[in-house]
Amino acid sequence: MIWFQLQSLMGSYPLALRGLGMTIALSGISLVLGTILGFALGVLRTSGSRWLDSAIGLWVDLIRGTPFLVQIFLIFFILPELGIELDAFTAGIIALTNLAACFICEIVAAGIRSVPTGQVEAALASGLSQWQRMRQVVLPQAMRVSLPPLVGQYVLLIKDSSVVSAIGLTDLTRVGWLVVQRVPNGLLVFAIVGIGYFVVCYPLILLARRLERRMSAAHGEVQL
Amino acid sequence: MIEFRGVNKWFGALHVLKDITLSVEPREVVVVCGPSGSGKSTLIRCINGLETIKDGDLVVDGQRLGDRATNMTELRTEIGFVFQAFNLYPHKTALENVTLAPIHVRKIARAEAEASGREMLAKVGLGDKFNAYPSELSGGQQQRVAIARCLCMRPKIMLFDEPTSALDPEMISEVLDVMVGVAEEGMTMMVVTHEMGFARKVAQRVVFMDAGAVVETGTPEEFFSDPKTDRSRAFLSKILRH
Repeated sequence: MIWFQLQSLMGSYPLALRGLGMTIALSGISLVLGTILGFALGVLRTSGSRWLDSAIGLWVDLIRGTPFLVQIFLIFFILPELGIELDAFTAGIIALTNLAACFICEIVAAGIRSVPTGQVEAALASGLSQWQRMRQVVLPQAMRVSLPPLVGQYVLLIKDSSVVSAIGLTDLTRVGWLVVQRVPNGLLVFAIVGIGYFVVCYPLILLARRLERRMSAAHGEVQL
Repeated sequence: MIEFRGVNKWFGALHVLKDITLSVEPREVVVVCGPSGSGKSTLIRCINGLETIKDGDLVVDGQRLGDRATNMTELRTEIGFVFQAFNLYPHKTALENVTLAPIHVRKIARAEAEASGREMLAKVGLGDKFNAYPSELSGGQQQRVAIARCLCMRPKIMLFDEPTSALDPEMISEVLDVMVGVAEEGMTMMVVTHEMGFARKVAQRVVFMDAGAVVETGTPEEFFSDPKTDRSRAFLSKILRH
């Protein structure tokens, strides 16, 4: 029985690979975009403009305080009502990028705030411009604090990408739903789906742990 | 070089600088002393804009602070500032600390900046510590790197905010020696310190502050041997008792 099911599962492996590819593409693209956007927001949030700080803070709270599934539905079903047509992939990327940016913004801002004011004053006193202070003095030190939680956040976001199956994207999770209709062994199918996610996430988990260990040891810049 | 005219500053309701009028000539070394909380750190932090003044005029190197025409970032490149807590960049080596601003602000070629950075570090007695991180240096060594970091910018003015207060006693003299050397080369300096030996040796003037106001100014000779006010006498008796 299980042998037969395994055999029939083997036949689904091109579909599974496609699903895995979709999950990796979705998370990869939105993590890159979300990291860039999140850094920008984090830097803006600590730039000293109270107006910007509270505007970004409000958005971050809104996103963190609502379920991701609801956010995806809003983007995919409501935006077309307003005349913005989106395919499911673009909608998924937008939703995930936004979610990633909000979490990363908070991590980066916390890192920046952890840098002692004396560091900024020293950079200021030597005539470095605002961007140079950020780039040369503040961010490298903020990264020491931010990098481990940042990588940890990546893992959470990769797993959150499974929610996009709800708008019909054939990612790893949706492949599981499709296959289980043909091979009625949910435990087996979703165990394999789980392994798929784990294979992607585990190296990142190890990386986060390594960074955390190195943080306490290193006095220089933390290198990946 | 530095001129305060009727400068006032408040932190909330606290009047931290009261009608300060004071000028420092080129190549002059002025020591500022006074009890803690007297506003002496705030006074020198105003000069490079780490604090802003509320009213009065503060003219530094011919430029009035707070004027639209005054580019604060540019002016700061002409003013070295040495902090009580050193504030070296912990993620950079000694050599990287002293070359950062010359390379990025002065736009000096890296090789040239590193050559003069090495020279400057050797001059403050750290010729063997180019690649050491701040955490690998003693307090006295860190403060000497901090002084070299300022000197590498070839500033016109050097400000020192209690540069030896965070140091163990045996490290104070190595930092003071470097400061004496800088003074003897003709640097315009304002030094907040209680190191009276340093004041006697190189200062042309001592400024005594209390409760946000300049109470007394004079040559070190006059100030130490014949203080004019009760407050300065009380202060001197406290710091010279031991």
